Amino acid sequence: MRGASSAKWVAGAIVIALAATACGGGDDDGGSKGSGKAGGTFRMGITEPVAIDPYNAQESEGILVTDNLFTGLYEPTADGKVNPALATSKKVSKDGKTWTFTIKKGTKFSNGEAVDAESFIRGWNRVAVKTAASDVAYHMAGIEGFADVQSGKAKTMTGLTAPDPYTLQVKLSAPDFEFYIKTTHTVFSPVPKVAGDAKNKAYNEAPIGNGPFKMQGKWEHNKSITLVRNDDYGLTKAHLDKVQIDILNSANGVTLEYQGFESGQYDWARMPTPQLPAAKAKYEPQGEWIQTDTNGMNYLLPITDNGPLKSAKAREAVSYAIDRDAIIKGVFQGMYTKSTTILPPVFTDVYQKDLCTSCIKQDKAKAKQLAAEAGLKPGTTIEVAYNTGAGHEEWIQAVKQQLEQVLGVKVKSTGKPFAELLADQQKPGATGMYRFAWGADYPTPDNFLYPLLDTASINKDENGKVTGDNRGRYSNKKFDDLLAQARATEDQAGRNAIYKQAEKVAMDDVALIPLWNRTQLRLANTKKFDGLKMDFHEDPNLSEITMK
Amino acid sequence: MGRYVVRRLGQLVIVVLGATMVLFACLFVLPGDPVGQIAGSDKARDPAVIEQLHKQYGLDKPLVVQYGTYVGKLVTGDLGTDYTQSRPVTEILGPKLENTAKLAVAAIVIDIVIGISVGVLAAMRRYSIWDVSATFITTLAIGVPSIVLGMIMQRVFVIELDWFPLIAGDSFEGIILPAFTLAIIDAALVAQLARSTMLEVLRADYVKTAVAKGLPRRTVLTRHIMRNSVIPVVTYLGISFGTLLGGAIITETIFNWNGIGLALIQAIQQNNNPIIVGVVTISVAVFVVLNLVVDLLYAALDPRIRLA
Amino acid sequence: MTELVSGTGEPTAAGPVPAAPGAEPSVARVSQWTDIRHRFFANKLAVVGLVIIFLLVLVALFAPLLAPHDPLKQDLTQTLQSPGSAHWLGTDALGRDQLSRLIYGSRIAVIVGLASILVAVVIGVALGALAGYYGRWVDTVIMRVADVFFAFPLLIGAIVIILLMGRGVLPVVLSLAIFSWATFARLLRSQVLSVREMDYVHAAKALGAGQGRIIRKHILPNSLTSVLVYATSNVGIAIVAEASLSYLGVGVDPEVAEWGNMISAGRNFMGVKDFMWTYPSLAIVITALGFILLGNGLRDALDPKMR
Repeated sequence: MRGASSAKWVAGAIVIALAATACGGGDDDGGSKGSGKAGGTFRMGITEPVAIDPYNAQESEGILVTDNLFTGLYEPTADGKVNPALATSKKVSKDGKTWTFTIKKGTKFSNGEAVDAESFIRGWNRVAVKTAASDVAYHMAGIEGFADVQSGKAKTMTGLTAPDPYTLQVKLSAPDFEFYIKTTHTVFSPVPKVAGDAKNKAYNEAPIGNGPFKMQGKWEHNKSITLVRNDDYGLTKAHLDKVQIDILNSANGVTLEYQGFESGQYDWARMPTPQLPAAKAKYEPQGEWIQTDTNGMNYLLPITDNGPLKSAKAREAVSYAIDRDAIIKGVFQGMYTKSTTILPPVFTDVYQKDLCTSCIKQDKAKAKQLAAEAGLKPGTTIEVAYNTGAGHEEWIQAVKQQLEQVLGVKVKSTGKPFAELLADQQKPGATGMYRFAWGADYPTPDNFLYPLLDTASINKDENGKVTGDNRGRYSNKKFDDLLAQARATEDQAGRNAIYKQAEKVAMDDVALIPLWNRTQLRLANTKKFDGLKMDFHEDPNLSEITMK
Repeated sequence: MGRYVVRRLGQLVIVVLGATMVLFACLFVLPGDPVGQIAGSDKARDPAVIEQLHKQYGLDKPLVVQYGTYVGKLVTGDLGTDYTQSRPVTEILGPKLENTAKLAVAAIVIDIVIGISVGVLAAMRRYSIWDVSATFITTLAIGVPSIVLGMIMQRVFVIELDWFPLIAGDSFEGIILPAFTLAIIDAALVAQLARSTMLEVLRADYVKTAVAKGLPRRTVLTRHIMRNSVIPVVTYLGISFGTLLGGAIITETIFNWNGIGLALIQAIQQNNNPIIVGVVTISVAVFVVLNLVVDLLYAALDPRIRLA
Repeated sequence: MTELVSGTGEPTAAGPVPAAPGAEPSVARVSQWTDIRHRFFANKLAVVGLVIIFLLVLVALFAPLLAPHDPLKQDLTQTLQSPGSAHWLGTDALGRDQLSRLIYGSRIAVIVGLASILVAVVIGVALGALAGYYGRWVDTVIMRVADVFFAFPLLIGAIVIILLMGRGVLPVVLSLAIFSWATFARLLRSQVLSVREMDYVHAAKALGAGQGRIIRKHILPNSLTSVLVYATSNVGIAIVAEASLSYLGVGVDPEVAEWGNMISAGRNFMGVKDFMWTYPSLAIVITALGFILLGNGLRDALDPKMR
């Protein structure tokens, strides 16, 4: 069985090689013209996504599929920029509350239905309604009428209108000069009439979209998803014929991807940490090694309103006491990059390298001195909690030992399942530190600073439980004011300047303790494919890849 | 006989209910909201969404009501809806149970083939070099736990020799290593058991009589020796099939076999309680049903046993 | 034909040596124990088992003296070192000495193995004796509860309990005990049922002995033989189960020097740094074998009929 398929594969590769030489020099949109077969199959493994329907696609795996099945107004680039997709123009009112997008005419869903303003409105309302219980609906929270739709009082958001079939007008309840950036998220995809509501199972399992690819068959849970090129795509067509995605078990999916790449079964793979040095030595010289810092960051999240890390100096002491270089070298085989900022380096316009002075190098003397000033006495217990089963055990133990040795404190490290960890962070009276990671949903500093550090994002309920994502309970009026000011600034450069100031305020308070960047490592079959890159969602750029 | 079966079925129901009740009580007092956050991330869910999900999964009701609902559905073969994908648990676990069953059946076949043939051979050639080495190897095999055996198998046959695929899928060659890993200990025990019962039977008066009577060798072997030696072995295999489902956790984890054991380990990390309860309920039910079947089989094979 | 039955005529190996007729009862008792000892020490494998366990216990007791390094001491500049003169069995991903972790790991194995079985035996024996002796509803209730616990596969049940109590040595001990006692209860109950009808128990009753005294003085001692045999082999099973739990990430804390943790940490390095998992694997195999051999030896020595 395996033998047969690889024989076919070899035959296919020869055909493509010929086709490529035939049209060599031409810069048309790829091999999809002429011979329809000149595209090949790209094969990779992922773990089971939560959803591939835009109403609830959320993690890298789900978005990989959804992003290739649907095309929205704008698209994010790997380096944190925004490119127009179906939007041919955008206009925002002076008060920042009304956005007008014009939509490219003549594009279709793969069932032949036209993609117009109405299909966007349909798609967005479908997500926002209460019964959808969508995890990603909150990205629409700024649209007028969202609250009523979420609470079940209305079915459609009043802020969405179509003055003409190809013009989409969006009214917001508060000024937001970055709204168009948010539309890069797959939740803002258009859907055809057949989509029905969010609970339409047939559509959830085999969404019909307007993207560069379409589904072949339906989602075989825990088994596979197959995409084929959409030859009627309205924008630059994809080149690959087919994308074969195997769904692997999360328990050792990474190992399987790596082994699959080694044996030629996959064209794209993650690697288990222990294999990294060997894999790098082998594949980097061949140009098959991808190493990129993405839009995610790893932190320790200190509880800033309670417990031993209430004072900024104590937090700074902790930060100085950690030897990031030693951990990266010893535990991560030197593959990660140390963080010295709150915002990820891919946001190049706002990146302020070495903003976190306590992150640059371990300084035991300074750590001790700051701890003494902050009253963080030797013998104090600091709790450090992390989620189990995700490979955090080892570096947490290293951090624990460093803190204990440098500060003389007692570190109590506890591993818990995810839900318990969250409940712990949320409960009133939480103390200590938590392992924490954050990835951007769309490329803007606001997507880090507001949810993680703004006072409004603490959002305690009547029992004092923190329901927002600012679970460190960081609260600083100066920071909040700067953020509000940035949000009310129309021009991008001016906004970025203020975001940088805000980041500095939070960093001076050591509101988060940066550890290392989210460095992503992949093996990519560049022998067979050209233009292979990692996109904003840490997935391969399927729609741009060509056969060699 | 009929009354016995009815009584046993009644007990069986009590055991399954008792087990699910113990489990339910345990899981649902765990701290943390199983639907409190967006899967696999540090992002808290929107309170409005949480409320909606609580309603959807019945988590807003008291524990007793939840348990009642669960049992009510259980009777109709419904194990509820899982928390990460909102799909019926039976739909998610169905194919996984099938995979685990495949693995268990393959393991039982290995147990029977290897275990009985080694045991019978050893008994018939008692004190020969075969017998001695069989005793030695089976003792050693019992001492090698699945975590160790699985690792060695993987290291030698997958990584070193590359005889088997690491990504097993549903292929036949993929099942061999996990099935052996799962089977070896039981195969060794079966061999020892088969050997000792065989020896016992060979000594029994009725065999001596049969031989003295001048019955053909084949008749003695099949009618008298085999039939009587097989009873304890069948009993053991029946019980071990039930425990195989438990042992499968390790094997499935090592070989990435997509069964209910692996599902359980993953569900624990995600606090996906419906899957946890589902897996445990299934394995308990399989165990007690098999026990009953074994007892009935026992009676059918051994005319001296009367069930009452 | 002759070949087939040739084995049956032979005398049974290590058959019981009948006490000399007419000997004094006290002499008979002494000779009975002597017989047991003789039978045990005549069995070479049993002696090997005993030696293994003796050594294991010694290593566990004197771990601080034997271990060359602190098993928890990290050295991030010396991670993943292959076995050599500085670290005989190499170092792990945090630069901890593998040999020291292996040596200290024996403590967890011994503690969890013995403690969990001890707890299981105490619960199982007490409940089993009550059920067997009193019968009727006491029997029904206890044995139905035992059925429930018996029906959980050991690992699955243990995982649930640990989920509830958190990781650690105590939760592991308790979770293993909770799902092991039912077997002991069943075993003891069936023993009691058979012993209860023995003449000397009837005699004791006739002489007016209280129920508690009958259970304690007459029934228990005569039922404990099989419990002892079973418990011995089960210590090995408990040790393996404990390592398996840690391997699955639900056993003792990950930083604890423990064999299952070591194998689990080494699992990712398979084919790259095999020394990380092979040595702890060997330790588990030897330990498990030790208890199996000892258990088998005891079984054969105490009651040759059980063979």
